Amino acid sequence: MTDAPVSRIRNFSIIAHIDHGKSTLADRLLQYTGTVEARQMKEQFLDNMDLERERGITIKLQAARMNYKARDGKDYVLNLIDTPGHVDFSYEVSRSLAACEGALLVVDASQGVEAQTLANVYLALEHNLEIIPVLNKIDLPGAEPDRVKQEIEDLIGLDCSGAIEASAKEGIGIPEILESIVHLIPPPRDTVTEPLRALIFDSYYDAYRGAIAYFRVMDGTVKKGDRVRLMASGKEYELDEVGVLSPTQKQVGDLHAGEVGYLSAAIKAVADARVGDTITLASTPAAEPLPGYTEAKPMVFCGLFPTDADRFEDLREALEKLKLNDSALNYEPETSSAMGFGFRCGFLGLLHMEIVQERLEREYDLDLITTAPSVVYRVTTIKGEVLNIDNPSHLPAPNEREKIEEPYIQMEMITPETYVGTLMELCQSRRGEFKDMKYLTPTRTTLIYELPLAEVVTDFFNQMKSRSRGYASMEYHPIGYRENALVLLDILVNNEPVDALATIVHRDKAYPVGRALVSKLKELIPRHQFKVPIQAAIGSRVIASEQIPAIRKDVLAKCYGGDISRKKKLLQKQAKGKKRMKAIGTVDVPQEAFMAMLQLDQGAS
Amino acid sequence: MDDRNPLSQTAFSDFHLAVNAASAPRAAYLHIPFCRRRCFYCDFPVSVVGDRRNGSNSNAIVKYVDRLCQEIAATPTFNIPLQTIFFGGGTPSLLSVAQLDRLLQTLNHRFGIAAGAEISMEIDPGTFDLAQIQGYRTAGVNRVSLGVQSFADDLLKACGRSHSVADIYEAIDLLHRAEIPNISLDLISGLPHLTLDCWQATLDTAIALQPHHLSVYDLTLETGTAFDRYYQAGEHPLPTDETTAAMYRLAQQTLTTAGYQHYEISNYAQPGYPCRHNLTYWENRPYYGFGMGATSYTHGYRVTRPRKTWEYYEWLEEYIAAGGKQPGSPPPPNEVLLETLMLGLRLAEGLDRDRLVRDWGTATVDRIDRCLQPYAQQGWVEIATPHPDSPRRSVRLSDPEGFLFSNTILAALFEDLAVNL
Repeated sequence: MTDAPVSRIRNFSIIAHIDHGKSTLADRLLQYTGTVEARQMKEQFLDNMDLERERGITIKLQAARMNYKARDGKDYVLNLIDTPGHVDFSYEVSRSLAACEGALLVVDASQGVEAQTLANVYLALEHNLEIIPVLNKIDLPGAEPDRVKQEIEDLIGLDCSGAIEASAKEGIGIPEILESIVHLIPPPRDTVTEPLRALIFDSYYDAYRGAIAYFRVMDGTVKKGDRVRLMASGKEYELDEVGVLSPTQKQVGDLHAGEVGYLSAAIKAVADARVGDTITLASTPAAEPLPGYTEAKPMVFCGLFPTDADRFEDLREALEKLKLNDSALNYEPETSSAMGFGFRCGFLGLLHMEIVQERLEREYDLDLITTAPSVVYRVTTIKGEVLNIDNPSHLPAPNEREKIEEPYIQMEMITPETYVGTLMELCQSRRGEFKDMKYLTPTRTTLIYELPLAEVVTDFFNQMKSRSRGYASMEYHPIGYRENALVLLDILVNNEPVDALATIVHRDKAYPVGRALVSKLKELIPRHQFKVPIQAAIGSRVIASEQIPAIRKDVLAKCYGGDISRKKKLLQKQAKGKKRMKAIGTVDVPQEAFMAMLQLDQGAS
Repeated sequence: MDDRNPLSQTAFSDFHLAVNAASAPRAAYLHIPFCRRRCFYCDFPVSVVGDRRNGSNSNAIVKYVDRLCQEIAATPTFNIPLQTIFFGGGTPSLLSVAQLDRLLQTLNHRFGIAAGAEISMEIDPGTFDLAQIQGYRTAGVNRVSLGVQSFADDLLKACGRSHSVADIYEAIDLLHRAEIPNISLDLISGLPHLTLDCWQATLDTAIALQPHHLSVYDLTLETGTAFDRYYQAGEHPLPTDETTAAMYRLAQQTLTTAGYQHYEISNYAQPGYPCRHNLTYWENRPYYGFGMGATSYTHGYRVTRPRKTWEYYEWLEEYIAAGGKQPGSPPPPNEVLLETLMLGLRLAEGLDRDRLVRDWGTATVDRIDRCLQPYAQQGWVEIATPHPDSPRRSVRLSDPEGFLFSNTILAALFEDLAVNL
């Protein structure tokens, strides 16, 4: 099975926007080639995690090896390397593309090209991949294949005369796609005799076998028992297991240049077998690693605190376990005067952050309080020191600061023309700098802005989606730091500053943000037996304040024989709500309050 | 049945007799769901029969009374006579005397009714005449709870009540003429457009009528009611929370000054006249329940019957087929404790601390004490030490402040005791 000649191997991935049908298409390919029997088929076969199926997105990439007898009568091995479809994981996307010679560009025939698709196509073109356009959902009444083909040609410059019209859902166009993979995508280079170089494009943690790495052999051959070296981490391992993914793991004797497979070698954590690292043989190492390895750099930070202080150690253990499987997750202990002990965690982006939180709550049964996301500010002190500040409450006092710089990104949005106005407004309100606007087609445009990352991590994506009724898409990449007039906005609850609510904002926005924040907190914090003032302040100057009136009564008027069970439930609910709140001094503050920054009215933030 | 005054003993005389919840029920609740119309604040299981005067002849009521008798007859008996019976609704006064009499006979036949038992009936002004109330009286009813709610016609109208203020005075006159020995009036505070002055007048009017007992409820917007759709709690035209809390204090002050004992969060009685039936609930003792939507608490667990007529009839068929066995099992001990606290702290007398220690152990009671400590300091919880007048040690909420914040205090107890003991 592994004796596939290099010339009969095709390695490809699928580039598609969320919802454009990538997972369904992958399912169909697995079925059509008999890789997965119909009775084993469950929807979105490649998306393993529950979270992925629920959200309909791919978080961790996967791979599948298919055997296909083409119309020319020859047997081919097709390796599908799945890619995650979200902006947070663009590094992983670039690694999986680097493991391929071609890609299917799947575009919804009723929607057209989206920003992320575009970004991934550019990545694929950078890697010299052969791109096969596929117009999916051709069966839908709103499908406009000709318009979308024109769009692809105009936008990307791809020749769409051979584009395949398909419907993964209905099984239309699947044979044509497979034939195109065989005939259009080039085979890998035959470098079987060269020193081993294999690219890790994914890894995950298995409780029994340690980290399992998925890799593509670029040069040479690897077999079970080989002693390998990971060129970036410098660590060496003896291979316990080498195999292919069909799509479940199947051990094989060896894998040679062009092939895709997995290995296990008692590797302690995925951080030791990171995506992008190069595997070589310890005995005859390659001279150079494969290009493109970068450390995962967290972009978004937040504090995670257990609601129940006694569960701090449980949280530490849970993070340790998640880290085994997620090399991009960073964390270090944090102490907050308001929240007690917790962790400051770094994430690739907002989605990554949400996923980690959700897994902690779901898989480890933790009740967490999350502070609003922050970015890394670069502060130069008057002594000339440069500090990286990922926690607003650690910002040096104004008289100790020379300047504050904040990370910027370039944002590219693709949107129907109708929403250009409202999206420009959104970008302006987020301190965006307009760069460019181009018409892709008479009705679709691309908008390019430079924005502070801090303005993007606070709910930009949802705003963009709701303003464009879901039609706009976005993609961004970091473009460095810029100095700005930033100030620390403190929030005082019952006259006590709450460090976990402090935030860094532009001076010009401090008033509206402060006002919006205190009024949101007034909504979110329940009434107490005393009045609770809520204030926003810069230094000692209060710039906005609200007051939560005291509660006047909290009593059930009636409780007779038929009411008892229901009233007991009400009280249990009240008690549970109380338990999920964090006591700040004498004020109970619910979890959502710490994320209030994300729920501000658009006018203000 | 004997007609002497209800027991002058208060809650704890029975308390020591009261064995655990699995013991014999001595109280029975019968739900009579029929109403002429549904009041705007009401979320009880009711069945609207309209304004026909001879409602009791309607087939629906006839059929329901039959079923109720079947349920009573099918219910396992402990052979301990009933001390209290309560006809609640709905509007039980839509029953004919014969129907009421039949229900009492059926109860007596099945369980026995103790001499001196309290037999209460909820009635609404404008739904009965003298012959009818005399008939109820002869059949054994010795306590009547009259649904007054307000002494202002515009407020009655705003609540969707089917009676007028004139009907109230007429009803009370009829009750006196029928020599009902124990009369209770229901009032509601916090109604739309109700002001403190108007509330004071309501209380004064009620006192002038010299009822033996008063139930005073702060309006609750129950989910799904008309009021819940029309209004927002604490917002115009409803009085603010501050005003309704003031109404609560005003009732407490006015009624206790007039000689009423504030014996439960929403209930006041002249000495010797607390509702013995309702004390069963608050002391967490067992009770039978019959009829649609009714809850029973026998064999240590509560069973609530379906709230829709036909569903109740289906349930009843299964119940009879199962020989009066109901699926269910007693809740874990900490749930029982939570119920004991939630109910017992509604009473002015509070909970007997020594009994708590006996039933739940010192460690648990220490935990309760610790949890209540901050509220005791605040003056919302009183821990009474024994003295000659009151030989027991009790834990209770203060009146009115502790009562007004009873949920806050209970939620703290629930939070602390939610995990298994």
